[in-house]
Amino acid sequence: MTTQADLLPGTLDLLILKSVSLGSLHGYGVLLRIEQISRGALLIEQGALYPALFRLVRQGYLKASWGTSDNNRRAKYYELTTAGRKRLREEEDGWNRLVAAMGSVLGAEPEEA
Amino acid sequence: MKPLSYLGSFISTFFHRNNEESEMDEELRSHIETHADNLERSGLPRAEAERQAHIAFGALERTKEECREQRAGFLIEYLWKDVRFGLRMLHKNPGFTAVAVLTLALGIGANAAIFSVVRGVLLRSLANREEDRLLYMRQSAPGAGNEDVTFSVPEIKDIGAGLKTIKELGTLSQLDFTVVGLGDPREISAGVVDGNYFDVMGLRPVLGRLLSPNDDGPNASGAVVLTHRFWTTSLHSDPSVIGKTMRLGSYDGTRSAVIVGIVEPSVPYPVEVQIIANIVTSPHHLSATMVTGREHRMTEVFARLAPGANVESARSELRTVYAAMVAAHPEVYRAADHYTLDVTLMHDQINSRARNILWVLFAAAGLLFVIACSNVANLFLARTVRREPELALRSALGATSAVLRRSLLAEALVLCGTGLLAGVLIAVPMVTVLGRYASRFSVRAVGLTLDSSLIWIGCALALIAAVFLAYVPRLPSTDTSRGFSASSGSVRVTGGSCRRLRVFAVTQITASFLLLAGAAALLRTLLVLQNTEPPFETAHVLAVNLPVMTDGRTPEQVRTFYREVQRRVSSLPGVENVASGFSVPWRDGRALNISFSFAIQGAHRENAEDDPRARFRSVSPGFFDTLGVPILQGRDFNAGDRDGAERVIIISQSVAHQLFPGQDPVNRQLRWTDPVMKFIGISFEARRIIAVVPDLDDEEIVPVPAMTIYQPTEQEGWNGRMFVRAKNDPYALVPSIVREVHEIAADQPIERASTLDDVRAEVLTPNRLNAIVFGGFASLALLISVVGVAGVLAFSVSGRTREFGIRLALGAHPRSILADVLREGLIIAGVGVATGVLVGFLVSRVITRYSAEMQLPGALPLIASAAVILAAALIASALPAVRAARVDVVRALRSE
Repeated sequence: MTTQADLLPGTLDLLILKSVSLGSLHGYGVLLRIEQISRGALLIEQGALYPALFRLVRQGYLKASWGTSDNNRRAKYYELTTAGRKRLREEEDGWNRLVAAMGSVLGAEPEEA
Repeated sequence: MKPLSYLGSFISTFFHRNNEESEMDEELRSHIETHADNLERSGLPRAEAERQAHIAFGALERTKEECREQRAGFLIEYLWKDVRFGLRMLHKNPGFTAVAVLTLALGIGANAAIFSVVRGVLLRSLANREEDRLLYMRQSAPGAGNEDVTFSVPEIKDIGAGLKTIKELGTLSQLDFTVVGLGDPREISAGVVDGNYFDVMGLRPVLGRLLSPNDDGPNASGAVVLTHRFWTTSLHSDPSVIGKTMRLGSYDGTRSAVIVGIVEPSVPYPVEVQIIANIVTSPHHLSATMVTGREHRMTEVFARLAPGANVESARSELRTVYAAMVAAHPEVYRAADHYTLDVTLMHDQINSRARNILWVLFAAAGLLFVIACSNVANLFLARTVRREPELALRSALGATSAVLRRSLLAEALVLCGTGLLAGVLIAVPMVTVLGRYASRFSVRAVGLTLDSSLIWIGCALALIAAVFLAYVPRLPSTDTSRGFSASSGSVRVTGGSCRRLRVFAVTQITASFLLLAGAAALLRTLLVLQNTEPPFETAHVLAVNLPVMTDGRTPEQVRTFYREVQRRVSSLPGVENVASGFSVPWRDGRALNISFSFAIQGAHRENAEDDPRARFRSVSPGFFDTLGVPILQGRDFNAGDRDGAERVIIISQSVAHQLFPGQDPVNRQLRWTDPVMKFIGISFEARRIIAVVPDLDDEEIVPVPAMTIYQPTEQEGWNGRMFVRAKNDPYALVPSIVREVHEIAADQPIERASTLDDVRAEVLTPNRLNAIVFGGFASLALLISVVGVAGVLAFSVSGRTREFGIRLALGAHPRSILADVLREGLIIAGVGVATGVLVGFLVSRVITRYSAEMQLPGALPLIASAAVILAAALIASALPAVRAARVDVVRALRSE
């Protein structure tokens, strides 16, 4: 229902914010970009994406506007707001701290024990 | 300007919502199509690409739901949408809606109304300050057949001395005063109280002052406090009555008294009095009879707990004191009589009579609510089963069961909310009616007003009903394939739903049966009472209160007055007979209660305590003729039977049978032996029996053999009531009777003129009201249940259309199908009645454990109720049965 099993809870928002920060995207574009950047390692359930996008819009991190896609279809394009940019930085910092901490724990050498 | 702009913003929000919805649709469509474009580009045909894109996306509707849930205020929006949907569904089924709303309204309304009454009568606190410290005392002597005895002054002195748990005792004795100087001369019920009474009761004046210990004693001046009710109703709340002097006449003389104050509204208990006077106003209260007569009991005792004491400690202390008193006077408190003292909280005492009736009524309303809910649940369930295809479709499109439940709940809320509104509308007049009914049992119901508790209890019941309704139907299983097959047009009834329907129908029948049996038992009691022939003429006999006026008259003048009245009234045209006496049958409870012990003159008595008792009646010559009672033996009283002549009495048949079996009682002699006689001015001299009359029970509606001894009014007898037998309409005589009496004595009160028929009807009113109220409940319940049973059967028939079609096609006779459906109805009713008998039996066993007053209805009301229920079920099943028998075979078989 929410995120995929191999996606840590709460990371979908971060992924969306990050991918949108590289340039405004429509929903399908967000999916493609995440897939592309992660080289297919991260797959996002299509149905789960839109509720997250709607939520980020409501929270004021994203704003949406209609445009025309490469396929010549009308599509809704999302871009970061100022609040969204700030939010992304915070999330990134948080994530990096977590990764660093996890890395140092997991990288601990056995002889030290 | 402001409302307009508000409207504008509302409209824009509304359009905005629609916009959002279509934008969402477009965005998601665009997503899927872009995905399809990419798939097409990789070589798939367009149709296949679109199909795969859809599959990859997953449940579109569910995603939409989840997106909507991200929008601000979505919950309110959903609820509003569900409610609107509910309204639309209900609007589409006006029949269902009307029945459901009406049923709920009855269930909710009846409960809210009765709860208001229960709250007002039983739960509301009294006006008395610190009512939880106010006690009421009573003694009883079960051995002497006396459950409820007041106190005498020596008893109060003994009990009240040196109590630790009681701060003070307050006393009141009821007396009728003939009041002159306050409007027309009239007889007014008064309470004669000691100076502590108001302090003990914890009441305050609204005007002037109340009585205090300074008003006690023989040298105080007469002072009177008016009750609030009397002041407002009879004196139009006139504040200038304070300081007025009036003359109060009682049997032992007349005194004057000044009105000193008005007491705040309070419950008149145990007797309704209009004025409250100090002791000096009643010469009787200062007499030796009152002060020294241990058996001269006429006083009510109230008590206020001392600080730190509670009811239990007061009860045990008082009982100890009481036991010492009983032991000190064995000649008065005979061991066989088992004299005991009881102490209760005033609040509980006041409610004691109304409590059982109101709780029973509450239970009846509860049953009605159960019936109403079961019925609506049935309708709701049946409808949900019919809607199964719709629900299955919605669930297949991604509606979660929470969503479906929510929409059912919204629908139920709409139903119950409407029912609540209608119920409150019904409850308002119901409270008035019930209040009038309850005032028969509790003075507290007088002036009962509506309060907000009615609305709250209604809301609570509506909510309970709504939640119940919403959770009763089973949702279609997530296995959508089953749901889809059902959507092909006809209804397939699942076994579970059908069983639930039957259970609810049986519940309704059970509850209706219980109500009906109760009502039938009450009706039977009423009919027995009403059809009992009174032992004397009632329709043409007028009873009039003509209270004795002693003010400035000698006893001889009083006697002459009554003789003169009798003479003049009997010469009026249309009057057949006139007599006087001391008590009106059924009406003058206290006077009718008087009985004394007596013995045969000269007979050897083993033990004075075993003397028989007889009712004491005082009547004038012509009394028996006026009431149309034959004199079996001997002669009536006549003008010669007066003071100074030979003392004579007339006895009733059972006295003759019991004391003179097989002998002629006439000219034998009896004498009173009761120790009370010395206080009331009746001598112990021997009295010759001059006649025997039939037993005429003037106390009970259903006559029982009553030992009665009649004494002439002019021979140590009492007067005050006149009986006039009319040839035609007795009430037409009233004006001329009043005229005649006032020509003799202008200030003579003449009150409560009423035929004995109407007196009797008045006595039966509580029974009639009982029967009407419970009968009303039962009829409502029956009506609802009939609709319920009919609904269940109609539903079951419509679900079995195919089966009936096949049976008819195979040659079954329509009659057998008719019988089948009727049998189904009868089985539901039969099971319901059987459950009802069982439940009723169990409940009555539980109740008898707590209250001995419970009476089981006889077999007749039970059988009658069962018959009514079965007949009603038969009628209820007739319509669906006929429909089943008329099933069109071809259409039935093609229906699936």
